[in-house]
Amino acid sequence: MRRSERGFSLAEVLAAFLILTIVLTTSLLAFLERNNRLRQASELVLAYQALANEAEFRRRIEFDQLDTSKKSFITDTEILAPLAPYGTAVRVDHKEPGVKHVTLTVRWHEGKREATLALVRVDTGGTNLW
Amino acid sequence: MVTRRRMRGYTLMEVMVAMAVFALFLAVFFILTAEMRGWDKRLPVSMHKHPSLMAVLARLRRDVLDANSRAPYERTHDVYTSSQQVLIVESVQPNGEVHVIVWDFREPGEARRISYDVGKKREWVARGLPKDLANVEISALKTGSTSGWATRILARDGEGRIAIDQIYQPRATD
Repeated sequence: MRRSERGFSLAEVLAAFLILTIVLTTSLLAFLERNNRLRQASELVLAYQALANEAEFRRRIEFDQLDTSKKSFITDTEILAPLAPYGTAVRVDHKEPGVKHVTLTVRWHEGKREATLALVRVDTGGTNLW
Repeated sequence: MVTRRRMRGYTLMEVMVAMAVFALFLAVFFILTAEMRGWDKRLPVSMHKHPSLMAVLARLRRDVLDANSRAPYERTHDVYTSSQQVLIVESVQPNGEVHVIVWDFREPGEARRISYDVGKKREWVARGLPKDLANVEISALKTGSTSGWATRILARDGEGRIAIDQIYQPRATD
């Protein structure tokens, strides 16, 4: 029997399958990773819009009323609807006299994903400038 | 009659195994693709995929930030009347001059910025914005009891989901 009529040996077929599997798996993983990152980027864009809007409000709250202000977002968070269920939190820390650190947080994906924005508020003694 | 292996073709078992392997690969591919499409459908039109939209918002933000905080907005100017799709704002330019800026979002897929200096009119148009982001709503809101009026830009995609929600307010001046 000539070589061209013998077909492939088991070792040749297995080697070909192995190469094909490696190529397919790598392509599929790269494709999935790309889409995953795009989705995460889109989610972050939504989260940071909500954070930036909240920051606009928090920077205008009177300095002495910051501690007693609401511990979740005051602003409309409808933009976060695609991330539901999500949570928002506001923390105020006093690290030095006359200075308050306001940390705004959005959590989603069962708390596995998080975006934060921090503001430093200083007691100017006058109007609530930032 | 003597038949060689190559001429016999494949057994049913060989064909079934080959088809099962191929079907498994197809199933994995389609399940993952469907899952990703599901996620994509949940999310609105994303700004980071449209650089022109980001340029519009960055420029609009700067105009509002640099506005005269005591009376930043005007009811009418030239042929424009402020509405949910037209914003008229008095903004201080880097050279200290005050220009009246009109932002016009009435044309779907376009944003126009018309700047009025004394006797001079300049127009900047951003085209190629996402068509389904036509429902831009501009509103004013108070961010604090002692603060001025902020501008809220809201836009929904073709399915009614909020894609843009930005609050800009003039810098505080005292």
